[in-house]
Amino acid sequence: MHTQDETTSVSDPDNEPENGALTPEELAKEWAAEAPESSGPIANLLACLAVLGLAIAGMFISAGLGLGTPQTPNAGTWPFIVCVIIAVMALVQMIVGRKGENGGEKFSKLSWYSLVGFVTLLLLIALMPIIGFEIPSLLLCFVWMRWLGGERWRSATLYSVIVVVAFYLIFIVALGTNIPRLF
Amino acid sequence: MDFFGPVADGFSTVLDPTNLLYCLVGVVIGMLVGILPGLGPAATIAILLPLTYGIEPVTAIIMLAGIFYGAQYGGTITSVLLRLPGEASSVVTVFDGYVMARQGRAGTALGIAAIGSFAGATIAILGLTFLAPLVANFALDFGPPEYAALALLGILLVATISGSSKTKAIIAAAVGLLLATIGRDVFTGAERFTFGNLSMADGIDFAPLAMGLFGIGEILYNLEERHRSAAMPAAVKRVWPSRSDIKQASPAIGRGSVMGFLLGILPGGGATISSLVSYAVEKKVAKDPSRFGRGAIEGVAGPETANNAAATSSFIPLLTLGIPANGTMAIIFGALLIQGITPGPQLINENPELFWGVVNSMYIGNVLLLLMSIPLVGIFIRILRIRAAILAPITVLITMLGAYTIRNSIFDVFLVVMFGAVGYLMKKFGFEPGPLVLAFVLGGLLESNLRRSLLVLEGDLGGFMGRPISATLLVVFVVVALWPVIKSGIMRRRANSTLVPPLSEKEKV
Amino acid sequence: MSIIVGYLPSKEGQAAVHAGIREAKLRGEKLLIVNSVRLGSLVDKAVASPEDLEEVSKLANEAGIESTILESEYRDDFTEEFLRLADEQDVSLIVIGLRQRTQVGKFIMGSHAQRILLQANHPVLAVKAEQN
Repeated sequence: MHTQDETTSVSDPDNEPENGALTPEELAKEWAAEAPESSGPIANLLACLAVLGLAIAGMFISAGLGLGTPQTPNAGTWPFIVCVIIAVMALVQMIVGRKGENGGEKFSKLSWYSLVGFVTLLLLIALMPIIGFEIPSLLLCFVWMRWLGGERWRSATLYSVIVVVAFYLIFIVALGTNIPRLF
Repeated sequence: MDFFGPVADGFSTVLDPTNLLYCLVGVVIGMLVGILPGLGPAATIAILLPLTYGIEPVTAIIMLAGIFYGAQYGGTITSVLLRLPGEASSVVTVFDGYVMARQGRAGTALGIAAIGSFAGATIAILGLTFLAPLVANFALDFGPPEYAALALLGILLVATISGSSKTKAIIAAAVGLLLATIGRDVFTGAERFTFGNLSMADGIDFAPLAMGLFGIGEILYNLEERHRSAAMPAAVKRVWPSRSDIKQASPAIGRGSVMGFLLGILPGGGATISSLVSYAVEKKVAKDPSRFGRGAIEGVAGPETANNAAATSSFIPLLTLGIPANGTMAIIFGALLIQGITPGPQLINENPELFWGVVNSMYIGNVLLLLMSIPLVGIFIRILRIRAAILAPITVLITMLGAYTIRNSIFDVFLVVMFGAVGYLMKKFGFEPGPLVLAFVLGGLLESNLRRSLLVLEGDLGGFMGRPISATLLVVFVVVALWPVIKSGIMRRRANSTLVPPLSEKEKV
Repeated sequence: MSIIVGYLPSKEGQAAVHAGIREAKLRGEKLLIVNSVRLGSLVDKAVASPEDLEEVSKLANEAGIESTILESEYRDDFTEEFLRLADEQDVSLIVIGLRQRTQVGKFIMGSHAQRILLQANHPVLAVKAEQN
């Protein structure tokens, strides 16, 4: 795995403050500089549109369930009201957040790691009922340690085996749960 | 005020060996979680929900509560030793605590934080002991309209007070309400939003939702995290503050306890806000404010006391009214539901051993914290050296396998992963998961109370205003909801408004 | 031209710095002190605190050597990162400290010293910790 985003900083120890301590304002600035970038206006718009779409779909389905009246509320009344609130707030957020400042972070190259992690979890679910939890867990641990975590393959293998054995001992032997297993 | 009977019973419950053990486990796990970056108490409590299925309700809540206030203290350790706040409530401790550590006074800082935390929690527990029965008794007269208004207000407060974007929080809360409607409608029997799927007919289970949103979501998010390691901290030498230190810090501790207690009760308030407020107050009342940021012991004592007091008092709305004060309390609410207990004003009377057992466990838990905090520091630092690459798959497997054990259902695990993706996306787009979970747990109760209110009031919505309590609550609701609009109106009228850039904080639920 | 030293706050790291200073004096070159740390954990023994780095700088200054300190991070492979820096700065000599490792330790953890010796494009000076 190639090193990514390596950062090198040249530090001049004579210039750093005595105690290595910074004032609260400087600390805050340092943290703000290290914090991930904001996701920007497009992300805000996309998120709001997605939510709006969800809310409108919800409104249609709730209407289908029957809206009733204030005197006799029906199954669809409450969900409809909630969906209306969601839709309205989504529109508000579209306007309020059009400059894209608050909240959210940009997707970076590292976000692919999260996607890979997600896929490994789905694979675990798919394989577990068929071949038990031991092998899928072993593979998941290995992938997470070796590729998502950057361990060397020898240590990744060793630690993966230790972890799966430990889980076997705890979940199967000690607690006696019914997790699908091979051994 | 005849409660000494139940209180004493509560103590005997706590001193039961099983409960003591789970209290210890909870506090240690809590401290560990507070120290480790990436996992917060909310995520941990969610991940450990499957554990609560097989044990008594009292025992379960004792452990979960221990995790919560243990984590407040754990975050202090990294703040002081590494200049890295483990929890959002320990951010202000960095300013003076780390400086103290550099001056060789790490032990003093940690010690005064432990003492302050203990004092704050004790005051809060005393307040809880006296206040809770009063509130619960008052709330026993609540009818469906009052409860509906209260739930609405609680959700709104949590959505608006904490976090940055109010609109996004309200959206999250509303989505939570919507998710709560999935399944069979209690009143009419109609199936809502199930799309023909049998597993959805009973609605979404709380545990997979919480585990996914908080647990897996956080883990997936942390896969992106990159931070430079800190150097090994110097060994902590003298581990106890001197008598003069304690004397100097006492007023700060006193003020912090009261502030923390009051701010913790308010839904949406909580440990983070109380620590910030306490620091600001201490700086204001100090005779020499320039000491702050240079190792002023009050800068550690005040906030640490306040955040623990707040963590403890935030149990009050949950245990007396059944309204969670923040996201973590919502998860504990869910844990109670799993045990078949519906929190509300009737809890004190119908399950006194639960209520007093939990309250008294907080005394014991805080004593344990005080005893163990300093000796365990060395071990905790060693644990911190374990790379995230190793901890991540372990946490993931605990969550996945644990989710399976709830009902031996792979569909539950699937739900966990799906909600994990949702939680990750929410974080990336700036939505907070706390309001969603809060609204989810209250959603069912809110809807049924609203519908019952409409039946009682015979469809007349104005009837809400006719009843004094619900009217007051609704007025407060409207004020809080419109507050941003009111505030900007006031700001525009001010001639000179100097805008000071706010202090940025690390947000971690 | 400069000499690059791989520094850790340990006996071996100290020995490497001393050797680096001696060589720099002999050759009349600059010293590049690198503290490269692995990302992933909150605390790491390999991280040099600001005081460590200050002390090392002082040592170099007292010997009349011009020194620069580089703090870098890497995800998985120290050797790759270190050699990359060496190539980038086009050094004339690499100085590293050697640590005693058992056979099993070397197998599981791998030996960075071994890999640096074998893969480097520049001469390598490997020193052991000073016996005091």
